[in-house]
Amino acid sequence: MRAFDVPVHLRCSRRAGLALLGLGCGSVLTAIAPAASAGETRDFLLIVNPASSLRGAPRELVADAFLKKRTRWPDGEAIRPVDLRSDNGVRWRFSELVLKRSVGAVRSYWQQRIFSGRDVPPPEVDSDAGVIAFVAKFPGAVGYVSASAKLAGVAELAIR
Amino acid sequence: MHRVIAICAGVALGLGPQRAVAQESGPSVQIHGFVSQGYVKTTKNNYLGPSARRQGNFELSEVGINFTTQLTDRLRAGVQLFAHDLGPLGNYAPQVDWYYLDYRFFDWLGLRVGRTKLPWGLYNEANDVDAGRVPILLPQSIYPVTSREILFAQTGAELYGDVRIGAAGSLEYRAYGGTIYVNTADASPQLRGFEVPYDFGGRLMWSPPVQGLRLGASLQAARFDLDYEPTADEAAAYQAAGLLPAGYAGNVSIALPVQLWVASVEYQAQDLLLAAELAREYANYKTTLLAPEVRTTIEGFYVMGSYQVRPWFTPGLYYSVLLPNIEQPIRKRSTYQHDVAMTLRYDLTPNWLVKLEGHYMHGTAALTSALNGNQPLDDLSKNWGVFLLKTTGYF
Repeated sequence: MRAFDVPVHLRCSRRAGLALLGLGCGSVLTAIAPAASAGETRDFLLIVNPASSLRGAPRELVADAFLKKRTRWPDGEAIRPVDLRSDNGVRWRFSELVLKRSVGAVRSYWQQRIFSGRDVPPPEVDSDAGVIAFVAKFPGAVGYVSASAKLAGVAELAIR
Repeated sequence: MHRVIAICAGVALGLGPQRAVAQESGPSVQIHGFVSQGYVKTTKNNYLGPSARRQGNFELSEVGINFTTQLTDRLRAGVQLFAHDLGPLGNYAPQVDWYYLDYRFFDWLGLRVGRTKLPWGLYNEANDVDAGRVPILLPQSIYPVTSREILFAQTGAELYGDVRIGAAGSLEYRAYGGTIYVNTADASPQLRGFEVPYDFGGRLMWSPPVQGLRLGASLQAARFDLDYEPTADEAAAYQAAGLLPAGYAGNVSIALPVQLWVASVEYQAQDLLLAAELAREYANYKTTLLAPEVRTTIEGFYVMGSYQVRPWFTPGLYYSVLLPNIEQPIRKRSTYQHDVAMTLRYDLTPNWLVKLEGHYMHGTAALTSALNGNQPLDDLSKNWGVFLLKTTGYF
């Protein structure tokens, strides 16, 4: 996939809007509809450091954590989110389902915050392995990986 | 200018996608920067510079770099250096754009001290951030780029936080106070002094339980004190009109208390962004001349929308109206300015964008006589156009 290209599965989801207008891709609606609930999606897994006692969290909390609107878990531990690169399809899925914004909108959000001196975005890593290594290393860390990733040294966090 | 373009290309092509490396424990420094070069061509009237001449105007550029470090879980520090050129303003004079120490006690309470961007409206803090928005020029009825020195940042302290309010959603608040340092290097040589004895205000942003919706209210109050030395002609005119006070010693003092409010609404859903804002600014001119106080009420509003059609392509539209003094009848062309703008944003790479923008303007309220041969605004063309091209590299 070329940098900044749209992952194939998201191209289809974009067509869902056209399907609503009767312009094609009708079967997409049924394929996309179940994924509208983040709790039901298996496109990616949310993971946290195993020291965390948290095994489930509302979508809003996870979204706020990745946008750094919340900086502490309920147990007081500092939240340390980690992102995949912006051209990674798993990040696109996570962004649309959990943050409810496109990756482009999230990038604009961070550009505004970076250059107005408000905050800096979470670190980005290249792969599932990088996310897992980061989350395993740092208490309070949270990340997402593809559903097929082999988890080691991390715990899964369900979206309630 | 060519040097700026070269740097721009270097940033975009040489650095490639910015990738923060997984942080090791202990403080680390994040470095971000941007460089922009723009072009302005107008029909009939000069705007933001000598833009009506045949070759247009390239004096629209910015460059900035910032350093941010997380010193502890709760303490962060940052600084941004900035230089710009906007027609007669800026001239690439380097300045410390912002700097701060930020301690976040809780999610609902943080304290920032230093020089920080003023949080009013949806986008004032992001007025310099070309990569963070679709338009090249934000609606100038509320975010006048020529007033950057006065409107962008204050030096003082700020309290902020995010508060969950159960089923009602969440609130983000900001409250600040301090002073505004104004660089008067570009000001008239007749200006003898400029101070801002106080500046305070706040912003409340409510995110109700409708995904992507934000409603906001901003307030600001400040006072600008300035002294200027009238030219001999001006002094003679004041004298003829009987305006010079008994102790006149060559200087005129002006105190200008200003109050401002902005009401904001924004809706963002996936790739769609809709926004609208209404602002009023109340100013009350008091001078040492034997003249009555002058009150003005400036009103501005706009509606704006954009949609990211493809990750690399985002068109946007807005309609903006500026009324520079609603205390006066709105008849002459200098008493209003309507602005219909369309932007095409192309993200060529994750770190390099190009924008094209066209404006149809009706009215002359946002123009200046100084850029237009000292003609009165009512003598300038009522209907005119602006074309802008801008490229930005950032990391």
